[in-house]
Amino acid sequence: MVHLFHVSKRYPPDHYALADISLRVEKGEFVFLSGPSGAGKTTLLKLLFGAERATSGQVIVNGRNVTRLNPRGIARLRQRLGLVFQDFKSLSHLTVLENVALAAEVAGVPRRESLKRAFRLLLELGLKDKHQLTPAALSGGEQQRMAIARALVNEPVLVLADEPTGNLDDELAGQTLRLFLNVHRRGATVIIATHDAGLLRRFPQRVVALQHGRLVGDSRPGVEEFAF
Amino acid sequence: MRPAHVLFIARRVARNLKDFLGSHLLASATVATALFIFGGFLLLQQNLYGLLKSWGNQAAILAYLDDDLSAAEVKALFSEVRSFPEVDSVRYISREKAWEEFKKSLGQQGGLLEGLERDVLPASLEISVKPEYRADGALKALAARLERAPGIGEVEYPAEWVERLNGFFAVLRWAQWSVGAVLFGAALVIARNTARLAILARRDEIEILKLVGATGALVKAPFVLEGMIQGTLGALLALAVLALLFVAAGGELAAALGSFLPADELRFLDVEKVGLLLAIGWALGAGGSFFAARKFV
Repeated sequence: MVHLFHVSKRYPPDHYALADISLRVEKGEFVFLSGPSGAGKTTLLKLLFGAERATSGQVIVNGRNVTRLNPRGIARLRQRLGLVFQDFKSLSHLTVLENVALAAEVAGVPRRESLKRAFRLLLELGLKDKHQLTPAALSGGEQQRMAIARALVNEPVLVLADEPTGNLDDELAGQTLRLFLNVHRRGATVIIATHDAGLLRRFPQRVVALQHGRLVGDSRPGVEEFAF
Repeated sequence: MRPAHVLFIARRVARNLKDFLGSHLLASATVATALFIFGGFLLLQQNLYGLLKSWGNQAAILAYLDDDLSAAEVKALFSEVRSFPEVDSVRYISREKAWEEFKKSLGQQGGLLEGLERDVLPASLEISVKPEYRADGALKALAARLERAPGIGEVEYPAEWVERLNGFFAVLRWAQWSVGAVLFGAALVIARNTARLAILARRDEIEILKLVGATGALVKAPFVLEGMIQGTLGALLALAVLALLFVAAGGELAAALGSFLPADELRFLDVEKVGLLLAIGWALGAGGSFFAARKFV
């Protein structure tokens, strides 16, 4: 599903956010990208959904070489991905339902069908009664559930989440993680960037560790950690 | 682009027009101001041209006769002129008649003529020209032919004034298009900057649309369509203000111009010029938004 070959990302004049990363994530895997702030987690995710271009190396996502995609190709790729961010990224002038349906409409799904899909997801995520509110009327946890619903509305093959629990307390963070695990059980590949070590202990999954832009560890539950 | 995308864009445009009404109206007002000035020039030009045409249509040529012509010679000359194909009718104005008409035209100041001989004014032929020969060139040729005729001293015709005014109109047209070009450029820059501000105000929306997979066209199209609507609305606003001013001031203007321009000769912009203003407004809005979207989205 995701394959990185010797990927580096350099920002001028000479700062390497990522240096010589090679990584493979199979279809259906659940992976935590861990590491302290500035380790390169966000940059790696940005390379995967085409918000940044690698300075060198190749980035393959869902069979497409992202480093060679034009803007139209990147847009098409993103329609097959589900993206979740720490700051939710919602549109304040749209209702919760419209925010979720937006991703489906952009993918070319007719309005009525988009709203149906969005409503079903909000029902599943416990936001049925809030669908006509604007995002500002929701709590942090609810807003993150809304963002997850939007990420799932096109039934993505790959879900990328950047610090999705960063603004939530422990309990809400746990609930949110369980939502991602449900998504994973449905068959989607999930990659979550987090610096929350407690979360990694509570939900043992494969962990890819980054530090100063380098891959420093890759461990799976029950398998001895392989340190780079 | 799928049909669902077209509807998506239409919904976004409708929603954005509602949600950002203030900035849309501001942009329309900017376009309206530029087009009001340009439209004012068009209106002025059109009506001055009408005035000119109206004078040209009063195409009577005055041919002053030599003093020493006998009655038989006047009669022969009268017949000859009447036989010209360009001539519609001829009226002979004797010296006495010219004196009386002149005195009448002076009204209460007729006393000024006291002490002068009644034959001080020359006899003349007032020649009315057929409409098809009233073009500037034809009138001039006829006047030249009359001047060469034996027995005719001097020839006067209104087309002389028409020709001079034509020169003035050439300057006016040049000024109109120069001012129009400057206004168009300025309005385009303002429209682009207004669109840029709208884009910056909605950068979160643009970012999210891109993150969920919107193509550049899907993100930009609503801005360009909104620009088209703003520009067309601006043109309609300019036309409405011009029409109101025209209705309010037209009557008084006609009264002031008096016999120079009958009230029914005053005309609002014709269909072509209304279409031109609408097209310019549309182009201003679309162009400004397109350039801003291309650069900032």
